[in-house]
Amino acid sequence: MKLSERQNDALAELINIAFARTGAALSELTGHRVMLNPPEVSVHPTLELSRALSKFIPGEVASIHQVFAGPVAGDALLLLNHDGARHLTDLLTDEQSPSKHLDESAREVLTEVGNILLNACLGMFGNLLHVHVSFSVPRLHLESLEELLASLVTDKDEVHYALVISTAFHVRDSAVKGYLVMVLSVASLDRLIQEVEAWEARQVQ
Amino acid sequence: MVNDGPEKEARLDAAVLRWMQDLAAQGTLLTDEELRVLGWNHWLEAHTGRRASEVVGRNLLELFPELAERRLDRYYLSALQGQVSVLSQRLHGHLLSMPAAAGQKGFERMQQSARISPLTREGRVIGTLTVIDDVTERVAREAELQSQLEARSRLLASEKAAREEAELANRLKDDFLATISHELRTPLTAIIGWSNMLRSGKLDDKMRARAVETIHRNAYAQNQLISDLLDVSRIISGKLRLDVRAVELPPILEAALDSVRPAAEAKEIRLHALIDPLAGPISGDADRLQQIIWNLLTNAVKFTPKHGKVQLKLERVESHVEITVSDSGIGIAPDFLPYVFDRFRQADAAATRHHGGLGLGLSIVRQLTELHGGTARVESEGEGRGASFCISLPFIAVKGDPEGPGPAHPTAGGGGVEFDCPPSLEGLRVLVVDDEQDTRDLLRAVLERCGSEVTGASSAAEALAAVEALRPDVIVSDLGMPGEDGYALIAKVRALPAERGGRTPAAALTAYARTEDRLRVLRSGFQIHLPKPVEPAELVTVVANLSGRVDSEAGKK
Repeated sequence: MKLSERQNDALAELINIAFARTGAALSELTGHRVMLNPPEVSVHPTLELSRALSKFIPGEVASIHQVFAGPVAGDALLLLNHDGARHLTDLLTDEQSPSKHLDESAREVLTEVGNILLNACLGMFGNLLHVHVSFSVPRLHLESLEELLASLVTDKDEVHYALVISTAFHVRDSAVKGYLVMVLSVASLDRLIQEVEAWEARQVQ
Repeated sequence: MVNDGPEKEARLDAAVLRWMQDLAAQGTLLTDEELRVLGWNHWLEAHTGRRASEVVGRNLLELFPELAERRLDRYYLSALQGQVSVLSQRLHGHLLSMPAAAGQKGFERMQQSARISPLTREGRVIGTLTVIDDVTERVAREAELQSQLEARSRLLASEKAAREEAELANRLKDDFLATISHELRTPLTAIIGWSNMLRSGKLDDKMRARAVETIHRNAYAQNQLISDLLDVSRIISGKLRLDVRAVELPPILEAALDSVRPAAEAKEIRLHALIDPLAGPISGDADRLQQIIWNLLTNAVKFTPKHGKVQLKLERVESHVEITVSDSGIGIAPDFLPYVFDRFRQADAAATRHHGGLGLGLSIVRQLTELHGGTARVESEGEGRGASFCISLPFIAVKGDPEGPGPAHPTAGGGGVEFDCPPSLEGLRVLVVDDEQDTRDLLRAVLERCGSEVTGASSAAEALAAVEALRPDVIVSDLGMPGEDGYALIAKVRALPAERGGRTPAAALTAYARTEDRLRVLRSGFQIHLPKPVEPAELVTVVANLSGRVDSEAGKK
């Protein structure tokens, strides 16, 4: 499954709206101007996800994971590499000296940041699809990418795709790269793309 | 009765839920879809001080206006939209204001972590659940750990910096030792070489004169090196004392100019002085000020090629007196400028070989200037474009008349004083005490040339015997001798009755010329202190003085 250029652009534009909201929410929360890079979107079968992401995220990853359920169901994740996760919390919490490790409080901050971003994106999709999506409480995991992907709640019998959205958080002259990953069934992804196209058609009018 | 089942089950569910909530070691707050409080567990009662009976049934945002003031109401509004929110302690501090448990140092308020979730049934939000954790202890622990880590990394960083500094200092010291051995050997080579030729007796008069002249010049050069080294070590150990008086600068500048004039003339360098006669007086040590100027001028002449120009300027600038020595010499590269006044530094080892010197002069200039409460700075537009050194000394309103700079120290300037025996020592008996044969011989030669009878002694015991046996008019004694030293000797002499020589005037010879050494010398019973190396003219004057010849003559005038 591959997105057309037009689908890709429309999806990126929609996600960018969610990113702007996320940036605004984080700016207000931290007192620093926080911006997110315009998203770069790609679609991968879940089986190839590990290969697609391992290039970007070698080693241990910090993931904020929320399961969503309803007419459209799947896993939503924010992935950061370990150093990026540390750096981002330091930037957002005004830590003067760089932390050596992610303590409990830093993990909580990351969880909140991931939650805000995932809420914005999933909420936007929910509105678009006119469906109600329910979320689990977000959880933060520190593990290898392989372990993380193995833990995703997916029905093994159905083919799943992952929408991979790469971006970077810009805070106080620094940038921290991150990936938003949404794992969906083919049916859910199809429905999402149809709605995105319909939205795009409405925008053009 | 058939409907009784599910109803009963629901009642049981509610009872179990309440029971579990009350057991929980965290706050649980339940609302309906209009944010009316439905559940408020024991934990919340205990920590907020508000009973469930007070809050249940009331709207949460009305009960806690603080939530809306702190813009936390939006999390409840988004929960009603079906979204879950996490409120981290670090970004929010707390959700509901509660006091910290007793014994939590540094926290008045409980630090909290909270999650606000929607409660849904059949796709519809029917209420919200808030779970609050007390994380105060954890936050305190993390802060403690973080400060320990920071302290440790600061310690590591400062250890590393100290090690690097020590290594640099060590390297500079090695370079310095290499330079110093070279510099001290250079004049020695000339001295040894020429004195060997003199001893061979095969030199004609012209060559003999040249030999003596060369030996003399090199000995002075070496003396200057040693003086510099001693100055530096005194400055480093904080033992340099200034003899501070009101000082007029123009005569000091003139004296310094006079002493570098021969060197400048040899290189056909024009010496130009612009001296504001109204610039002074300042408060300072005349000898040390002269040393500063002399160092700067010598440096300028050394680093200025033939036919160049060196200018000395004295002017009053606001509350300071500025002395500027500028030259048209080889200049200083911008990256070396900050290190010009550092000890043991010359722009490079090649320059040291080319120009000689220990690289101590400018360091001494800065240290002495700073001891005077002044500052030293340098400017240069780059290599080949000359340099300008400026000394700024605070102008001090001096009470009473300035005494003037006083006579220059006989050894200052390095040129020496002509020795022509002005005071005659005819018939004076002088006892010379020194364990070194060479020094005794030198002193004897000088004193005998002026007509005195000299007896030598190589130890304190020998000297004491000579005092009683020969009753000398004056004793000249070294201080540092193996066994009994000069202090011990003079104590024994002073213990003798006057008729056995107990009052014989005595001069002490020493290389240690610090103020406290001079005081000790005078307190121990010597009348005067003579710094080594001894100037013949000074020695003769001192001996004449001690014997009373000069005083009595001056008294007659």
